[in-house]
Amino acid sequence: MATYYDIPVGAQHISLLEPLHFKLTTENEKIVDVEANVGYVHRGIEKACTTKFKFRQVSFVIGRICGLCSISHTTAYSQVAEKLLNLEIPLRAKYLRILALELDRIHSHMLCLSHVAENSGFEALFMRTMKDREISMELLEALCGNRVQYDYSIVGGVARDLRPEVAQMILTQLKELRSKVDDLIDIFQSNWSLSLKNKGIGAISREDAMRLNAVGPLARAAGVPVDVRNDTEDLLPWKQVGFEIVLENGGDVHARNMVRLKEILVSMKIIENVIQGLPEGPVVAETKALPEGEAVVRLEAPRGELFHYAKGNKTQFLERLKVKAPTFSNIPAFVEMFKGNEYASAPAIIASYDPCLSCTAR
Amino acid sequence: MKAFLIAIGNLFKRPATIQYPFAPTYKPDDYRGLIQHNPELCIWCRRCEMACPPGAIVFSQAMDGTQTYHYNRAVCIYCGECVRNCPKPGAIIQTATPASPALKDENINNSWAETVKQALESRAAYMAEKKKQAAAKQQGGENPA
Ligand code: SF4
Ligand code: SF4
Repeated sequence: MATYYDIPVGAQHISLLEPLHFKLTTENEKIVDVEANVGYVHRGIEKACTTKFKFRQVSFVIGRICGLCSISHTTAYSQVAEKLLNLEIPLRAKYLRILALELDRIHSHMLCLSHVAENSGFEALFMRTMKDREISMELLEALCGNRVQYDYSIVGGVARDLRPEVAQMILTQLKELRSKVDDLIDIFQSNWSLSLKNKGIGAISREDAMRLNAVGPLARAAGVPVDVRNDTEDLLPWKQVGFEIVLENGGDVHARNMVRLKEILVSMKIIENVIQGLPEGPVVAETKALPEGEAVVRLEAPRGELFHYAKGNKTQFLERLKVKAPTFSNIPAFVEMFKGNEYASAPAIIASYDPCLSCTAR
Repeated sequence: MKAFLIAIGNLFKRPATIQYPFAPTYKPDDYRGLIQHNPELCIWCRRCEMACPPGAIVFSQAMDGTQTYHYNRAVCIYCGECVRNCPKPGAIIQTATPASPALKDENINNSWAETVKQALESRAAYMAEKKKQAAAKQQGGENPA
């Protein structure tokens, strides 16, 4: 009869930066069962948004949910509020939102890649990816005026216009970043020691990914074409700026790395198209209306589909606001990914899943 | 072997990292920094106070009706909502100066709570006084008639 051991990973763990707890049941070195617990933190943000802050202020509060994809939350909230107000925003504002979203995607994906490298024991690649990521952070700072909290989307449009110098700076620096990303693709694809820790590890099949409703790069690495940018055009003109979906077939850590790297290239292309085809016009639409009714919005955050629901009752304060983060949707698929792998692979699998607990546990 | 040569070569190269704090890091010239208020241009409409998400601005009012602007850099999130909501251009602007760290001696949280409390009280006192005056005026107006 086999002996099973339960190994806890988290809520505080050296390879897990987030307050997330796993109970891995192992037989020898093999993981046979996993339990996940995400309820370690509660910040009461949703309640605060409906009681303490007026609906126009909420977009700044919502951005503080997460430092990595603050622009996704702010944009999703601004869109849902605009739906409640029946407000159509100028095309220029939509383009600028895409610009900020894609710059954010670049830096978030590079952060995830560097953590995968680190958790696979490749410290030098971690440093290198982080160093290259600095370019995208600088561009975001130039665009939005702050490195982490962009506060770029506001209800009705965006907070500031793109200055011509900044547009020029983005174009030149992206060229520089592009060659660096090409080098990174080369390393991630062909480095032998990294391949031992990444190829064939933490694999999930296409059927499982579909059955467990995986979203984001995790699903796309398994060959499931889910991407909100691919599905809807009504809020942001993704097709117009040259979005293409990136798919891989392996479903393992390596395939997820590849999806992220290729998405960085797609994001760069989108950014160039946005800057070159930026329409003229105002960046905010003003209105005196108050939010009324119910609305939902889906937006592709770096980690997958982000879902915002809001309900207004014609006062300054919303009646209800609900956020569903991509990490939360991915947990069933994530638990499945562990099974059958060595315990030593767990850190790399966790990093490749790119968990964001500050989005999930609020 | 190739890796070894690269490693040796790297010993003689300049560091790849930014030499912070000896060299400055990148800062855009429209960095979102401290908020500056100009009492000469302000029309005292308090829209900035109402728009500010964390409540970093509060106006106190003296008995003669003049208002004073109070601002807490540690509460401010540098969002710029106050500037966007101000009807008078230039009355409140966002500078590119980053906030200095709050020190223990400043007691910035508790003293700010005290400031807000006093400011709201001073406004309530002013309102009450005005109401009293208005009521007295009305009474004074009614009696002779
Ligand atoms: S920048 Fe934002 S947080 Fe700071 S005072 Fe203005 S409105 Fe308030
Ligand atoms: S919104 Fe502008 S004019 Fe009104 S009180 Fe504030 S600074 Fe003064």
